[in-house]
Amino acid sequence: MIHQFKIKANTVLRKVFFLFTLLLLASSCDTDETQTVVKFKNLVMQDEFDAAGAPNSSIWNYNIGNGDNGWGNNELQYYTDRPENIKVEGGMLHIIANKESFLGSGYTSAKILTKGKFEQKYGRFEARIKLPWGQGLWPAFWMLGDTSNASVWPEIGEIDIMENRGQEPTLVNGTVHGPGYSGGESITKAYGLKNNRFDTDFHIFGIEWGENYINFYIDDVLYNQITPANVTGNWVFDHPFYIIINLAVGGNYVGSPNTNTVFPQTMLVDYVRVYQ
Amino acid sequence: MKTRKYIYTKIAFLLGFVFIVTVSCERDLSSEAELAGYSKAGDVFIDGFTGGLDYYPFGDSYFKAFTVDAETKYDGTAAMRFDVPNVGDPTGAYAGAIFRLETGRDLSGYDALTFWAKGTTGGTINEIGFGQDFGENKYQVSTSFQLTTYWKKYIIPIPDASKLTQEKGMFWYAEGPENGMGYSFWIDDLQFEKLGTIAQPRPSILGGKDVVQQTFIGSNITVNQLTQTFNLATGIDQTVSVAPAYFVFTSSNPSVATVNELGKVSIIGTGNAIITAKLGGVTAKGSISIQSLGDFTPAPTPTNNASNVISIFSDAYTNVPVEYYNGYYAPYQTTQGQADININGDNIIKYSQLNFVASQFSQPTVDASQMSYLHVDIQVESQINPGAYIKVQLGDFGDDGVYGGNNDSNGVYTIPGSALSKGNWIGFNIPISALTGLTSRAHLAQIFFISDATITDILVDNMYFYKVPTAPTVAAPIPMVSAANVISVFSDAYTNIAGTDLNPGWGQATVVTQVPIAGNNTLKYAGLNYQGIQLGTAQNVSAMTYLHIDYFTGNSNALNAYLISTGPVEKAKALAVPTSSGWVSLEIPLSNFSPVNLANVIQLKFDGNGDIYLDNIYFHN
Repeated sequence: MIHQFKIKANTVLRKVFFLFTLLLLASSCDTDETQTVVKFKNLVMQDEFDAAGAPNSSIWNYNIGNGDNGWGNNELQYYTDRPENIKVEGGMLHIIANKESFLGSGYTSAKILTKGKFEQKYGRFEARIKLPWGQGLWPAFWMLGDTSNASVWPEIGEIDIMENRGQEPTLVNGTVHGPGYSGGESITKAYGLKNNRFDTDFHIFGIEWGENYINFYIDDVLYNQITPANVTGNWVFDHPFYIIINLAVGGNYVGSPNTNTVFPQTMLVDYVRVYQ
Repeated sequence: MKTRKYIYTKIAFLLGFVFIVTVSCERDLSSEAELAGYSKAGDVFIDGFTGGLDYYPFGDSYFKAFTVDAETKYDGTAAMRFDVPNVGDPTGAYAGAIFRLETGRDLSGYDALTFWAKGTTGGTINEIGFGQDFGENKYQVSTSFQLTTYWKKYIIPIPDASKLTQEKGMFWYAEGPENGMGYSFWIDDLQFEKLGTIAQPRPSILGGKDVVQQTFIGSNITVNQLTQTFNLATGIDQTVSVAPAYFVFTSSNPSVATVNELGKVSIIGTGNAIITAKLGGVTAKGSISIQSLGDFTPAPTPTNNASNVISIFSDAYTNVPVEYYNGYYAPYQTTQGQADININGDNIIKYSQLNFVASQFSQPTVDASQMSYLHVDIQVESQINPGAYIKVQLGDFGDDGVYGGNNDSNGVYTIPGSALSKGNWIGFNIPISALTGLTSRAHLAQIFFISDATITDILVDNMYFYKVPTAPTVAAPIPMVSAANVISVFSDAYTNIAGTDLNPGWGQATVVTQVPIAGNNTLKYAGLNYQGIQLGTAQNVSAMTYLHIDYFTGNSNALNAYLISTGPVEKAKALAVPTSSGWVSLEIPLSNFSPVNLANVIQLKFDGNGDIYLDNIYFHN
């Protein structure tokens, strides 16, 4: 009896070992160890910029002109909706900064926003962008809060998913502005590419925004998380925000272009996608 | 029992182990595996020379400029130290060398040569780069950097790394003293790197300009100012000068102009061609649009002896320092062009859209006090309408040698359109004394051509001042004709007609002497108005063919030679004067003297002006 049991045990053992080696066989060639934890998987808005012509008016509005004092930053450009400054072509959104005399400004460019057309609280907001380059160029992919909680900035809140200075082609900043932490006091972190630049290829810029956190990522690198503990004032990122994409020229953040800056400069956006 | 169980266990383990090892992730030789070729190492000097690297200073440089310094270094154990000599140092007035490998490296995977450097002073290194190998220097790159007195990293981008598959020239530099003073600088961690942050290539030729050039068949133009510019991670552009081998040059019309791999353009046909270039597939900024006007005949080569010439523009002489051949006097001047056309080795000036244009040579000014003439060759390319002209204006800057100051003067000589020829070179010998208004010629500084657009396109060559020597310095050429064929009047080479009177008293003002010129007896007429030669006996020269005369005059502008037969019957032959190139040997066919009776020639006569030297006056056949 014991003898039979032992034989059975041996058989089972052998099978187990056999299965085990099979398992090892199956798993020994598997080299992928990435663990992705994706919380926002429900795609709720996207613009793949596939329809050539003007940007989709059901998603985007334009800001036109040079704002108040260069949009509050002493920027030098006049924003237009002309195809010379903004168009969808070849599956991309082109925002083009030109050096030209236009209605009192020395440069033209474009700025589009989803205000009143698409606004969302929380979620994953990302865009795939190839940046322009050169002293004095200031591309941005960012968000502003609606007026449900407050009516003015910085109380409405601002999330800058991506900002770049053209004379720093390897550096991008992710930032939040709010009451008590705005402008020069904003909460920001830079991310630098070690052996690459942002103007030679497309990179993905995005945030994951939840109730008490905003994660900033570029490509597959999570480079910053901002929580209520990190901000020196009220956490105002709890109401719907809209998206803005623009290319500014000059201003307090970046400084003016110089004689070495090559114009025209183009910011290329492959897509904008929003998830919940 | 126990043993069996354990054996089974062991066997199972062994089988499992064998299974894993033999079946798991076995890789064949990948298609991406590269066979060993040239070393891809990027180090040049970290703490010492990379293997196989050697140091070769330039032949006229200070040989001991380079040492390895173990005390002053950026990091590691040593750095390169360079000691630049003082100006005029007899052991070598500058520091410079190449650093070359015995065997080439494959640098195609890198994008820059980088290093850390500092200097004892903020000197600017004149030239620094790589690709110079004392061989073909095919992929040479150079730039210039200003040092700081603290360590700073410098980046020399590679214009197109795909070309550097077998490069020996790892590094080179040349630096002279700063304000005459030598100094030292150090370089450390010299290596090729793949930074990945170098982007936005902007190659350029000809300074990025679209040049338009009108020229001729046989002309050669070199595409120069070859550069490549990249944007660095610092947001700053870095430009380097590059060898032609990085570029691909193209002619839009090879039947008009060809361009070789060194960027040398050869004009071979008539018509238009545009020369462009690419580097690494990117089109360079700049181009040359060639308008070839076809065949070209050069101006006649000047024959004046160089010791009698002050040359402003000529291939036959050494030119004085000239600031420019076109002052581009905006806004009134429309004239384009300067001395930048070379056709088969002949440099010419081409002016287009001419209204007025000046050449200036005031550094220093030209003292033409001894000179008598301004020579210039002009070929008109455009239509010459009635009333057209070119005024040649000479400007003197006065005692102060600069423009203005109330001591300047200028004089104008007008060449009428009728004296010019479209498509042909015409030479002008302008007496400086004819330029009224020019009160001095001791500080000449400018030559203007002024057409007021009556003539718009001209070529200019051989602009020079010259003097005609007043006396010959060499003897007249020795006659070669056999004595049997000669009846000689005056020559050391033959027996002259007996009893000839070289100075008969005809009431002339001329003073006749015989002077030795380089040992040769020469007849000199000073202050000629007219002068005779009375032959000893009447001569029958009807069997002769020519009257030969060697003559020389620096200051005559009229001279005739006569034969006289009984009657008297005389006939003059005009001689071209002055003789700016020295002795002129003239063969005058005796038929020119008709109706003089050649069977009965009794006298010769000369009239005109100036001081005349004569020799070898003889009849021959």
